[in-house]
Amino acid sequence: MSKFKVCVVGGHCSNRLMIVAEQLTEFFEKQGIDCQVITHGVAYQGSFAPRSNLILQLLPAFTEEEVGVPVINIKPLIGDPAHPATIEKILNQVQAYYAV
Amino acid sequence: MSPRIYLDYCATTPVHHSVQEAMLRALDVDFGNPSSMHWAGKDARQLIDQSRADVAFGIGCQPSEIVFTSGATEADNLALFGTLHLFPPNQAHLITSAIEHHAILHTAQHLEREGYSVTYLPADEHGLVNPEDVRRAIRPETKLISIMYVNNEVGSIQPILEIGRIAREHHVRFHTDAVQAIGLFNIDVDDLNVDLLSLSAHKIYGPKGIGALFVRAGTELTPMIVGGPQEHLLRAGTENVPGIAGLGAAMNLVRQHRTGERVRLLGLRKYLIEGLQAIGPAVIVNGSEGDVGPHVLSMSFIGADAEMMLIRLNGEGIAVSLGSACNSKSIEPSHVLTAMKLPQEQIASTLRFSLGMPTTKDEIDTLLDVVTRVLPRVTVQ
Repeated sequence: MSKFKVCVVGGHCSNRLMIVAEQLTEFFEKQGIDCQVITHGVAYQGSFAPRSNLILQLLPAFTEEEVGVPVINIKPLIGDPAHPATIEKILNQVQAYYAV
Repeated sequence: MSPRIYLDYCATTPVHHSVQEAMLRALDVDFGNPSSMHWAGKDARQLIDQSRADVAFGIGCQPSEIVFTSGATEADNLALFGTLHLFPPNQAHLITSAIEHHAILHTAQHLEREGYSVTYLPADEHGLVNPEDVRRAIRPETKLISIMYVNNEVGSIQPILEIGRIAREHHVRFHTDAVQAIGLFNIDVDDLNVDLLSLSAHKIYGPKGIGALFVRAGTELTPMIVGGPQEHLLRAGTENVPGIAGLGAAMNLVRQHRTGERVRLLGLRKYLIEGLQAIGPAVIVNGSEGDVGPHVLSMSFIGADAEMMLIRLNGEGIAVSLGSACNSKSIEPSHVLTAMKLPQEQIASTLRFSLGMPTTKDEIDTLLDVVTRVLPRVTVQ
């Protein structure tokens, strides 16, 4: 099974995008989840997301129909990096991937 | 390729061809140093004198009351620092408002760090400062009142006439940042009772890097830039002759067109509001719908992510601006919308559309088509 790949999508603010991506990377490491976190700034890199197994977006850039993979709104993580409902949604997707 | 539609005239305006011509002449023929005593210097000096007269005519003052600066930010800084620095910190108080441009707010905060006392007046839900609040805030040591003319985010027109009267009654100096007003309102500094007024060229189809401060005759200021004797000893340094020529030409342009443009843009603004509100019930106008700067429209699209909307509009060739700014840790809401006590959800979904001389009804129609298409795709799930 190939490594799980997560794409964090943001807008104009690349600092915020990087901070959230770093927090998620640390979170996955602590959880013992082997995954690769990449970033995509939709304001600068266009409206085609890189291939990934899961899109975590800070703004409503993509829909699941467009990208063919699950898409989760992670805006609540900006104010609360441990936002329980958002973290649960992410973990559910990761677990579903590895359960297959 | 999508048509390019520019609707961010509050941020800056394109340089009009008549302004370009005036500037090119200054770069080519009138290249001299205006302080030089020979023909080249005299030609440049003459050009500056003409532009100074043009700018003065545009706001109803004497040419000798115009100080050219690098822009409105410097003019605002000179008005505030220049006034307050005439006094020791414990003997001077500034009154301003919470909805001013950062050129004022950050200068006021700097003065506070120096020990000066500052009162920030609130604004109501329409983005208006109450003149009675100004009256109540005046103290014996108040040296300056600085209230903007037209707000750059929501277009609210401040009661400058009334505030000017109050300032005059109390013998307090009055400054207004008229950057967003100068292009569309007939301004007479005597009618307004202002002692200091800031303006910028690049908001009125002139170049960036040049502005001016009106300084009423007899108004003493501490200069911020010292050196040569330029600009009545208030702003040293060899003059930006092409910029000054551009500002003069830009002022002539807007002076001729502002009455007609005000009416035309007010009609387009109304058309835009009606069109946007027809798209859905969750589209709200921020500020007053009535007596406003006809070129500014702040709209909230409740439930939508404004940044994504801006990105999608930009992808379709339409340039607008956000009502909020982001930093690394949070989405920083607009200080103006915050001061108006708008709900967070409303602020986060705000876009600013601003119209200018080149704006057409066809452009507004295209915008409305694109917003109709884009809005459902930028709703936060």
